[in-house]
Amino acid sequence: MPPLLAARALTKRFPGVVALRDVNFDLRPGEIHALCGENGAGKSTLIKLLAGIYPHGSYEGELAVDGAVAAFRSIRDAEAAGLAVITQEFALVDELSVAENIFLGRAPRRGWRIDWPEMHRRAAALLADFGLALAPETPVRELGIGQKQLVEIVRAIDKRSRILVLDEPTAALTEQEVAVLLGHLRRLRSQGTACIYISHKLDEVFALADRITVLRDGASVVTLDRTATAIPEVIRHMVGREITDLFPRHAPPADAAARPPILEVRNLDVAPSPGAPARLRDISFSLRPGEVLGFGGLMGAGRTELLMHLFGAWGHRAAGEVRLEGQPLRARSPREAIARGLVLASEDRRRYGLVLDQQIGFNLSLSSLPRFTVPPGRVDRVAEFRRNQDFFASLRIKAPDQQARAGGLSGGNQQKIVLGKALMTEPKVVLLDEPTRGIDVGAKLEVYELINRLTAAGQAVVLVSSELPELMGMSDRIVMLAAGRIGGEFARRDFHPESLLAAAMGRLAA
Amino acid sequence: MEPISPSLNFRRLLQNLAMPLALLAICVFFATRESAFLGPRNLTQLIVEFSITGTLALGMFMILLTGQIDLSVGSGVGLVGGIAAVLVFQHAWPAPAALGLAFVAALVLWTLMGTLIVGQRIPSFIITLGGLLIFKGLFWLVIGNSTVPVARGDQDNLYSLLTTYYLPRPVGFALAAAVLAVAALLAWRGRQARLQHGLPVAPLPRLLLQGGFAAAAVLGLVEICNRFRGVPLPLVILAATAGGVWFLTRHTPFGRYLYAIGGNEEAAALSGIAVSRVLVGAYALMGIAVALTGFMTTAYSGSSTTTVGDLMELDAIAACVIGGTALRGGRGTVGGVIFGALIMTALLNGMTLLAVSPEAKFIARGAVLTLAVWMDVKLRR
Repeated sequence: MPPLLAARALTKRFPGVVALRDVNFDLRPGEIHALCGENGAGKSTLIKLLAGIYPHGSYEGELAVDGAVAAFRSIRDAEAAGLAVITQEFALVDELSVAENIFLGRAPRRGWRIDWPEMHRRAAALLADFGLALAPETPVRELGIGQKQLVEIVRAIDKRSRILVLDEPTAALTEQEVAVLLGHLRRLRSQGTACIYISHKLDEVFALADRITVLRDGASVVTLDRTATAIPEVIRHMVGREITDLFPRHAPPADAAARPPILEVRNLDVAPSPGAPARLRDISFSLRPGEVLGFGGLMGAGRTELLMHLFGAWGHRAAGEVRLEGQPLRARSPREAIARGLVLASEDRRRYGLVLDQQIGFNLSLSSLPRFTVPPGRVDRVAEFRRNQDFFASLRIKAPDQQARAGGLSGGNQQKIVLGKALMTEPKVVLLDEPTRGIDVGAKLEVYELINRLTAAGQAVVLVSSELPELMGMSDRIVMLAAGRIGGEFARRDFHPESLLAAAMGRLAA
Repeated sequence: MEPISPSLNFRRLLQNLAMPLALLAICVFFATRESAFLGPRNLTQLIVEFSITGTLALGMFMILLTGQIDLSVGSGVGLVGGIAAVLVFQHAWPAPAALGLAFVAALVLWTLMGTLIVGQRIPSFIITLGGLLIFKGLFWLVIGNSTVPVARGDQDNLYSLLTTYYLPRPVGFALAAAVLAVAALLAWRGRQARLQHGLPVAPLPRLLLQGGFAAAAVLGLVEICNRFRGVPLPLVILAATAGGVWFLTRHTPFGRYLYAIGGNEEAAALSGIAVSRVLVGAYALMGIAVALTGFMTTAYSGSSTTTVGDLMELDAIAACVIGGTALRGGRGTVGGVIFGALIMTALLNGMTLLAVSPEAKFIARGAVLTLAVWMDVKLRR
């Protein structure tokens, strides 16, 4: 039987770069085939080529579907051949309902009118099929990221797609949502749908994939049977070197426990706006210099809201107290928080972190310009340039120089800029919201090393992460949030995935 | 923060030369149709009109950088000029006091408008569209739907002299020389500082070439003016405004914040920028530009009448966009805006000189604005 989809000696050149070189890859009917590789390895390029975004003729080599050469000239051609590509940027219309999105462009009709009852009936059946407790009339804008992802999959399935291409589908999902998604993919596989699955999360890949193809520097390095390999081997192929310790957290300074807390939060209640019901209730914790305090929880548990509130960017404090270095902190804007020595690196770096059109240096120094200002209100650009250069070099940002556009860099390098911008303010407390989301293994390691450097220098870190291994690997203590409350606090010796997850869900069930 | 030594490739060269070539084409077109276009009298008039449009465009530039827009400036120009004219002509105020009060009025109005936009989170398009109509109404109310001269009788005052006084020949050259000397000093000191810290610098021959061009342009401009009566005051006002806006946007945190807000407002706020304060500041500066423009354009027409300032907001926006300012914010330069204003003015002045009908002028103006925005959208990709 010919492979469902085959790539033969694909090479894709851009001016000055070869994004793919001689990539070979095949997809068997009914298999889940994972693509792994660091950022910049060529995964996105390969997907765009498969999806018809880079049309036939713009690359060398050939694609074959069912053994016949496929010359996709557009996304429509690829869709007609049974391919559905689901990326991190959703192709859903926020203002329309779930049902309208599922049937976008192919609504059931009665004569020249849309047959609304039929559309809702069919949508409800599809959603029920997927075990999704969603009303078809729900506007998509009200859905969480995980639900949006599933709606896209439902749509792809209903379009009779035979090949699902999922690009980092779990980057924004909680462990629970990931489990739901993986369950659906396994079920689809058993029904004969093939799937190309791209993820940085190797434990997911190993839980799901039948085969794994590793890309490195634009070339397909190796294709492995999942049962005949292990995570370290895949990582070795991805980075071309051994990574012995995935989470190299150094122990905090010996006297850390003896130091007075730098950040104390007591009985904090926070509402989205004055008078609204509180989203965060009775939050208390403390943080010492040199310590990494992890925050875990399911999506919507309130972790991001908590960080944003401390940073002065969200919510109305209904009760409770926050103290920074013993002094009350009630930041009304990020500006005040930064001035007090507390800084946040946001989870969505493209939306909240960077001015993408501007240069790396512009972004690095954006929060610290008052430091470079000399009379009469002029920015000392030489001093600024040198400081930027220090950060550019020490963060090992991969770009020709600090004048490169931030928007053109890979996720890992963008994340380094966001961190560099935060650290240039010389903070005492650093709030990191999902600092390694969607970045590759090598860049993750560099972020972890950065956290170690910070804490060794006596700065304190709050780390929010949806990946339990990372949370357990890098935190000295963990607080689990559950539906806006503290679900449990754990010392390092008590880190067990089961107890952490139980704490995350404990109050949800009640 | 532009690249220190941009690699010269053909595409970039073409992009850089597109505007000068367009200007050249416009000038050649009008000059061949009407030889008076390049005569000293018309060129001086063109320079005054250019100074008026350019000053307003520089204010608009800072608003556009943040991704906002201001449609009210045309009416505002009329209103502010009208207030000063009424105070001088009907209430016999001394011109400096009248101009001062009108200036303060503009500053207050624009600060209020900025506060309203920021505080109430109403899109600037709507607030300033309201401003366009309200200021127009106030303007006509202030001047009583009549024509109010900027001076009483045949006496000159500061107001009327704004566009009728010309710098004596030597003063013009001295001023130009001073401007060039300061620019050269700044460039040289910046270069030395970079060299001292081991930072890359442009090669010296290129710097000298650029400096030579700049000097020739400035001195040539003064010489053109001197062939008529000398450098007109509005050109001095434009130069000062351009210098100020250049310093603000290139060398101060405030300017950097304008670009950051236009590039990504949410990221700017989370980077610790006081977004509201910066935006209100941009509108306040727009108010100053409106006041200066209002005084100059009213003085230029000799009196305040109901049509003063009509559609000037669109000329200002067009000048910015032609000069490479992005309507979505975050991109643009002072030099580009000046160039855009020059193109816009040359076009309007030439058509007036050829006695093109007002109908055709409207259509041409609209076509240029549309073309400029179309290019903005294309370049953005």
